[in-house]
Amino acid sequence: MLTQLQLRNFRCFESLALELDAGFTFFIGGNGEGKTSILEAACVLLRLQSQRTSTLSPLVRVGAKAFAVRGRFDEHALEFSYGGLHRRLKFDDVDQRTATEYLRLARVVSFANVDIELVRGGSDARRRYLDFLGTQIEPTYRSTLRAYERALRSRNALLKSATPRTREIAAYDAPLIENGTRLRDMRATIVDRLAPFVRQAHHEISVTTEKIDIYFSPGAAEDFAKDLAESREKELRLRQTVVGPHRDDVDLFVDGMPANSFASEGQQRTLALALKIAQARVFAASGSSPLLLIDDIFGELDPDRRNALLRSLPNESQKLVTATSLQWRKDFAEGHVFELQDRQLHLR
Amino acid sequence: MRRTEYPEALRNLIAQLRQMPGVGPRSAERIALWIVQNKADAPEQIANALRSTRESVRPCALCGFFATQELCDICADESRVVDLLCVVEQPTDILPLEKTSAFRGRYHSLGGRISPLDHVGPEDLRIQQLLDRAAKEKFSEIIFALAADVEGEATTNYLVDLLKGKGISLTRIAHGLPAGGGLENADELTLYQALSGRTRL
Ligand SMILES: Nc1ncnc2c1ncn2[C@@H]1O[C@H](COP(=O)(O)OP(=O)(O)OP(=O)(O)O)[C@@H](O)[C@H]1O
Ligand SMILES: [Mg+2]
Ligand SMILES: [Zn+2]
Repeated sequence: MLTQLQLRNFRCFESLALELDAGFTFFIGGNGEGKTSILEAACVLLRLQSQRTSTLSPLVRVGAKAFAVRGRFDEHALEFSYGGLHRRLKFDDVDQRTATEYLRLARVVSFANVDIELVRGGSDARRRYLDFLGTQIEPTYRSTLRAYERALRSRNALLKSATPRTREIAAYDAPLIENGTRLRDMRATIVDRLAPFVRQAHHEISVTTEKIDIYFSPGAAEDFAKDLAESREKELRLRQTVVGPHRDDVDLFVDGMPANSFASEGQQRTLALALKIAQARVFAASGSSPLLLIDDIFGELDPDRRNALLRSLPNESQKLVTATSLQWRKDFAEGHVFELQDRQLHLR
Repeated sequence: MRRTEYPEALRNLIAQLRQMPGVGPRSAERIALWIVQNKADAPEQIANALRSTRESVRPCALCGFFATQELCDICADESRVVDLLCVVEQPTDILPLEKTSAFRGRYHSLGGRISPLDHVGPEDLRIQQLLDRAAKEKFSEIIFALAADVEGEATTNYLVDLLKGKGISLTRIAHGLPAGGGLENADELTLYQALSGRTRL
């Protein structure tokens, strides 16, 4: 459980400190007061990455050189500071050369308005969803993903080069295939683990009996090496690597129809929520209840779905929830409430 | 009122020192003050050492390691096994390997690795020299001891592709080196094990 959180030069906050409890904590404030920023700080502290963006530099407060986030999670002290090339990690006040031990500590699931993109957006949102999960349950996921991306970018740079670089491209085939195959296998396993939880969660929060199907759709044939070799001609024409895990996707169906084109907006939102709840349940099933970051989604739901969602969240999980107001919360009295105004927090 | 500063010469010295790796503005200032305030001739000795190493130390014509003659001590040592070659990325990778005493052959440092993302291609490395040596020196085995990351692996593959079919046995040191780390960070035991457990390519 996250018990303390401190921000320095993080997004709109010059300095902010708060103490947190188990169960629900609500952050209430108008637009732009900094609610999302607090949740993002918790995510960056625990996972060294943002649930929203892929780069950390926009999180440094304008005019500052670096941000720092600090906190306590399950009796451990965490500290992360970042300023472009400068990155520093401390675990229990000891500087860390690698993130391995640090990242072993905590799991995070983030719920946000943009989650609907998981269902109706492009495949990169779904790969990011798998990666966010994978890096948290599979110790070698992060290094494999990084190695794959490095091999891919290197290879694509060579394919774009003005002079033919055939021998160099071939030299990058092996690391691409090796890491790509491992990444594909890990992603396939993750989708297998998710599928029953997605169906179950969807059943609980939708008021219908719609049938959900979820399949992993790999971006290369089973034999990646062969597929890569056979795609050479197309590669040279398009000047990029055309098969591989960077083309992986997750196919979603509601009652046998593709969810992105056939499902209604409400159905898409419900499925997106189910995908996130399933993520939380995969963590819970592997023995660690995740911190849930819930950003501005309660207000959008009708009271039935709101209550169904609240019930379907893992009970033992700590939950940080943002909203512009709490008027909808008449029926639900649990938890602490912080009000945000002028970059200050007030406990209500 | 004009702010008082160090004299121009001293400021210049600080600026020059800052060019050195690992020397920030603070340490540059401390070193410069130590130099100008030193009562003995330590700074002059450093200056002499700088000048003479700059003149005498250069890369070995054969392997790229640090040398004061045309050849480095390793390449000039007649007692070394002549048909074994170990290929490394940097000349600084040679000393840690030497410390293990597991290898009695000679070395070849490439001066880097193929890395398209850093704009380093084969033509920027000592690859032609390696091919020339392979043609001349009659190696029975060439061991690749590059870093165990994407670029290290790709560079090894590239060289293997160039050297295969020449009757030379091509091997790679066993992985087990810290992932993403270069040779200079590895401890001796890890390196010893990696050298003993090399695999055929
Ligand atoms: N790097 C930064 N430096 C300074 N201010 C920033 C930075 N990044 C974001 N901000 C500002 O921080 C403020 C708070 O943003 P945040 O997204 O946390 O608000 P919010 O309370 O979640 O608002 P909403 O209800 O609209 O979602 C915004 O005004 C935003 O422009
Ligand atoms: Mg917000
Ligand atoms: Zn030499």
